[in-house]
Parts: sequence; C-alpha cells; structure tokens
Amino acid sequence: MDASELEQYRAAIHGDREAFEMIIRTHSRALFAIAYGVLQNREEAEDVVQDSLVKAWKTRWRVRDAEKFLAWLATITRHRAHDIFRKRRAVSLSNETIEATESHPADTTAIDQQLHSALAALPEVHRTALILRYFEEMDYRTIENTLGLTNGALRGILGRALASMRKQLRPALASPD
Amino acid sequence: MATIHNEIENWLAADLHGELSESEQSALHAHLVDCAACRKAHHETKTMNKILEETLAHEKPDPAFERRMLAGFRNRIPERTGVSKVLANLMRLRATQITAVAAVLLGLVQIGRMLTGENAAPLPSRENYTSEGFVAQPPQAGATGADQSTSLAKSDELTRGRSQDLALNEPPPPAAPASRSELDKEAAARPMGLAAAKVAAATPQNLARAEQAEAKPGETPAPAQANRKLIRNAAVQLEIVSFDDAVQKITALANEERGYVATTSSEKQANGKLRGTVVVKVLPENLDRFLQKVRGLGELKNQTLGTEDVTKAYLDTDARLKNAHVIEQRLVDMLKTKTGKVSDLLQVEKELGRVREDIEKMQGELKYWDSQVQFATVTVSLAEKEMEEPAAFLIKERSQLALYAPDVEKIYNDIKALASQKVQVTNAQLNRDYSGRVSATMSMLIAPEESDAVITRVKSLGRVENFQTQTERIAQGGSGMSENAKTKRDKVELNITISREEQEQAFQQTSLRIRTSSVDERAKDLRAVAEKQGGRVRSSTFSRDPNGRELANVWLRVPMKNYPTLMQSLDSLGKVENVTVQRQDRTGTQIDEANAPADISIQVYSQGNIVSHESGLLATLRRTLAQSAGAIMWSLRMIGVAIAFLAPWVIAIVGVIWITQRVVRAKR
Repeated sequence: MDASELEQYRAAIHGDREAFEMIIRTHSRALFAIAYGVLQNREEAEDVVQDSLVKAWKTRWRVRDAEKFLAWLATITRHRAHDIFRKRRAVSLSNETIEATESHPADTTAIDQQLHSALAALPEVHRTALILRYFEEMDYRTIENTLGLTNGALRGILGRALASMRKQLRPALASPD
Repeated sequence: MATIHNEIENWLAADLHGELSESEQSALHAHLVDCAACRKAHHETKTMNKILEETLAHEKPDPAFERRMLAGFRNRIPERTGVSKVLANLMRLRATQITAVAAVLLGLVQIGRMLTGENAAPLPSRENYTSEGFVAQPPQAGATGADQSTSLAKSDELTRGRSQDLALNEPPPPAAPASRSELDKEAAARPMGLAAAKVAAATPQNLARAEQAEAKPGETPAPAQANRKLIRNAAVQLEIVSFDDAVQKITALANEERGYVATTSSEKQANGKLRGTVVVKVLPENLDRFLQKVRGLGELKNQTLGTEDVTKAYLDTDARLKNAHVIEQRLVDMLKTKTGKVSDLLQVEKELGRVREDIEKMQGELKYWDSQVQFATVTVSLAEKEMEEPAAFLIKERSQLALYAPDVEKIYNDIKALASQKVQVTNAQLNRDYSGRVSATMSMLIAPEESDAVITRVKSLGRVENFQTQTERIAQGGSGMSENAKTKRDKVELNITISREEQEQAFQQTSLRIRTSSVDERAKDLRAVAEKQGGRVRSSTFSRDPNGRELANVWLRVPMKNYPTLMQSLDSLGKVENVTVQRQDRTGTQIDEANAPADISIQVYSQGNIVSHESGLLATLRRTLAQSAGAIMWSLRMIGVAIAFLAPWVIAIVGVIWITQRVVRAKR
C-alpha cells in the first residue's frame, strides 16, 4: 500500500468525495468479487456492492486507521452480502436454487454446474479468495490486504481451495481428457 | 523436498498463479520430475485452473461495472452544492474541527457562567440602570420615613397625653371631689398651720418650763428660791425693720430691767441689710418680763429658754473649798513649826501649793457661778426684714455663632485683631484636620458697651449661621425679686466657630435626573449654567459604559436666592425627572436664607444605544424593535440554558449507545 493510496483513503475518510469515487473506480470489482463469493449471483452482488458503498460513505468517520480502510470496506460488503444471503435462504432455499439454475444460459455445460456447486461447497474465505484471483487476477499480496489476511496465508488457502475443487470435480475433469 | 510434497497443492496453485520465485519454481519442477503423484496433481490442477478461468470469465463483471457503481453512488448520495459544500470542505480541515470544538466548549462554559450568575450582565435592562443610578434615593426616603415615624410617635404621645388629660378631667366621679376638697382643706390649713406652728413652738417651751417648775419642789423641798443656784439662758431670733433701732431699744429695755448689753455684733450683707446679735444680761427674776418686751420689737422667729441648776455642784465646791482651807491652814502650821526633815518640809511645801491651786480654782468656779446666777443671759439674734432681696441684677449675655467663609485663617486673624482692653480673646484655636480642612473656634469676652459693635463686625466677616444669644439675669446678694434693685450688664461672652464654606450643611438638598442624548455636552452646559447663577460645582463625574450609556453626576451648590432661576434653566438641558427636594429647617436659629447654600445633585444620563427616548412614531417603532430584540435575546438565553442543561446528558446518552453498539457488534 503506497503513500498516495493511503492519502487517498484518508481524504475519503475525511469526506473527500472525489477520493471516494476514485476508490469506487479502483476497488469496486474487488468488492464485487467478495459479494459474489458469498452470493454467487451477479445481480445481487452488484446491489450489495452498491449498498455497501453508500453505507461506507455514510459511516466513513468510523474508520480510525486509513490503512485498514480497504479491509473495512470489504467487511461491510461481506456483512451486507451475508444479510442478503440469509434473507434469501429464509424466503425459500429450493425456489432460489431452481431459479438460480434456471437463470443460467441453456448452453451451460454440466461441468459449469458442477463447478458452481463445488464453489458453493467451499468455505467462504476460500471461495472469495478464488474469485478475487480469477475475476481480477489480483496478486496474492493485494488479496491478502483486501481480505485482511496475514502475509503468506493466501498461498495455503488458495492451494486448499484448488485441491478441494479438484477432488470434487475429478470425475468431470477426467472426461474431457 | 518433503515439504513440497506435503504442500504440493499450495505450491501448484502458487505456480499456476505466478506467485513462485524462480528458485521455488525450479525446486517444484525438480520435485515434479521425481514424484509421479505430484505430477498427476499438477496436471489436474492445471486443468482445474483452466476450467475456473474459463467459467468464471463469464461471471466477471462487465466493463461498465465501475460506471454503474459510480452512477448509483452519485444517485443515492447527491453531491452537496454551494455553501454547504464549502462548509463541508471547511469542516474537513483538522484546524477547523478543533476550532469548532473549542468554540462549542467555550459557548457551553459561557452559558454555564451565565446560568450560575457569575458576572452575569448579559442583558442590560432599564430596570438595572435605574436602580444603579438612584441608589442615593433610598436613604433620603428612609430619613423622611424616620421623620414620619417620629412624628407619628409624637402624635401617639399627643393622643396618649390627651387621653391622660381626659382621664384627669374625668376621673371616677366620687374620687375627684374628695381629693379636691382635701386639697382645698390643706390650702386653707396652711396659713393657719404657720400660726399653729408658732404656737406649737411656744408650747414645748412652756411645757418644759412647767416641768422644771414641777421638778424644782421635788429636788429641794424647801422653797428657798434664794438658796438655789439657777443659771438661766435665753435665745431669741427676731426679724426687725432696722437693726440700729432695735439695738437701741434693747439697750433701753435692758436698762429698764436692770440689765446691761454685754456685746453687740453686726454684719452687713451684700444687699445692704444688717444681721447681728446682741447679748444682754438681765436679772433672772426680770428675764421673763424682758423677753416679753423684746418680742415686741419685731417678728419673733425663734426663741429658746434654758435653765441650768448648778446648786448641787455649787454646794459641793463650796464644801470642798472649806475643806481645802482647813488643809491649807494645817500645812501652814506645819511649816511654821519647822520640825522634821528638810525633805518632808519640801513635800509639805509642794502639797500646800497644790491645795492653794485647788482653792483658787474652786473660788473661781464659785465666782463664775455667782455671776451666772446673778444675771441671766439673753442672746438676741437680729435680722433685718427682706434679707433675701437681691441688691442688684447682673445680666450675662452669651452668644455663639458659626461663620462660614472661604478663607478661615484670614477671618481667624481678623477676629484676633479685634482684641483690645474691652475685647478679650480668651480662647482661640485653629484646627487643621488630616485632609487639610481648616476650622477654628474662638471665645471672647466683650465689655457690654462694645458688644453690639463687635458682634456686628464679626457677623460681617462671613456668612453667619446659627447665631444664638443667651441672656441670663443673675441676682446678686440674695434671691428672688426686687423692685428697686439695679440691673447691670456683665461682659458678653462670644463663642465663634469658623469653618470653610464647603463644610456648611446645605440648607436644602435637591436631587434630580436629566435625560438627554448627549450627556457630556449637557453636563458642560450644566456647569456653565450653574456658574452663571453664582453656583459652584462641588464635584462632577462622567462615565460611559460599553453599551453607550453615558452618565454624568454633577453636584452643585448655589445660594438659595438663585435656586429657582437655576432650576428653571435646567429645563432647557433635557427632560428633568425625579426631582426630590429635602430641607431641614433648623428652628431657633437665625439663618440668612437668601445666601444659605442649596445643594443640587444632578444626574445626566442617556439611555444608550438600545432605546432612544425621543418621542414620535419612529422612536416608538425603534423601542418596540428593541423590546422584541430583548425578548429574542431572552429566549436565546433560555435556549442556552436548556442546551447547557441537556448537553451533558445528550453526550452521556450518545456515548452509552455508541459503547453498547460496539459491544453488540463485537459479540456478533
């Protein structure tokens, strides 16, 4: 995290709207990845990111340490996503899944569905890390910063995530080869 | 290489994601060459990675995602414009924030101070002003109040006195006539009583005489008057018209009764009347007759008559004398025979001397008694009538006056210069007190013929206050009244006190207020006016407070004669208000009223910026506005009060809520 970035966060905390908008430009995709990691639904994830940004702007003064701004933003997004996720489950789990499956394009292959269910089965942190990696091609360092992880922890997380995915998808993987 | 094998998944993932360093990469590849299981895993992972990349690429947000986010954000949080933006930007600055907090704190503190009343003068009101301006009034009012109360008390006394009078006039009916008649009786008895007293005075003597007469036969059964040795004395006090006449008559009477005048003494009183005593010796048997005659000479004031029976003592002495003669004879015989020792002879001689001495003494005694018995002694005290009448009257005059003058010392010296033989300065004192004020007191004695001139001269030296003359007529050589006694004037005693004019108490005190818009100018005008009227400005003050209110106090002293004109001219200076006049009349003293000083204390003031006191529509409007401004200020103050009360609670409650929120969140 360089000095200019830190300065940007500080300005945003103090109410600098332009700085905040800049943060939206640069980091909203990461936030989206986090929300998607939880919800695995693009529309909902987008709404979550939008809500989180608004909430972050309104409660920006709660952030004491500018260095943790990004992590804080991520936390807000995750909480929001969880809220939505809980609501969704409360409404109707079966309906939702049917809808979700139906919403996918017809040409989606079986492997896609398997992949998604495998993803859903992953622990949340693993899933989010994976998505950040594959959506944004973020390097490990940035992902760690975004998720508030300690240095070097991501390698293990991603390794385990990939391994468990691999094990789940092994039958499917075997077929194309 | 065991670690790589164990953590092959991590290594593979990092390798695929390009997060391995070169040395790590070569180490991994070396291991993959060796280990078939890991090679398989590598292969699978690669496929997995590919599938993920392909699949998730579809899920990736589209390029317009950021713009959508921004637009949504801007929609939901509209940007502030204009002043609020500037303010918000301003508030973003640390310095501004600190300043704002400091200002709020200061404000709270100020409100708190206002509430607690410490140095609280936020809203100067007219009431305050007037109460400040006229503190001097209440004491005066108090004084008059006291006067009234005393007068009330007096009237109380009066009524009480009246009721007493009434009570006296209308006592219980039976008692009054009784007491009055008693009084009458007493009054009637008084002249009689005097006569009776004389009678009574005479009677005890008669009684005594009678007793003596009765006693005499008891003592000596033989009625041999000649053998009895009786000494008779009498004293008579007479008031006569002329002393000399009386003495002559007494001498004649004494001769008639075969007596003689033994001594006369007289003394002349201051009023020329004579008083004296005459001692007359008469034969005892003629004593009563003589006394009778003497009483006729004038008014008898007092009479005593005494008889001393010396018979027994006389006879004793006589017997002892005879005895002594015998002893004497015997001793003489002893000496004549000259027998015995010399010492015995001497003893005899000594004894003889003593006996002879006794004999002589006894003989003298007998002789005295004989003479006393032979003649009775009558002491006649004579006093001429109207003994108490004064011979002359002396008129003593005592004057005192107080002078007020600008220069005390000059007058002091002037008066001292008046001294001459007929004008004596008995006491002169010049006092200077710590503040340098000079006063003087003088006393002088002036010959009667000079007194009027001197007093007039002294009076002309300054302003006379409190001239008092006390005349006393002193009777000389007696008391009471006299028709033909002369009257003389004695020296006149004059006491003077001299003080500076400033110290003179004002004859009349006036206080008033003048309302005007330009105080300083008016105060100057006022001083000019006062000087034109022969007044003196004793002191003058001017003050202006931050509200623009101006206040000038001017104390003037003018002679009474110029007082009305001055008061009239004050009207031209502004609106005259609250005129109070106080005068203390000093009764019984002469006061030069025209020149007596009158003190005027004038307060010139302006109402300040809030309210102007000119009349008219505009002024009324302004006053109304000022009042509403005052009301707004008052409500602001009340709001401040409310905030000061509520702010700590709000802060505390918000704090508690915040902490609970944190705690709840932390638990979650």
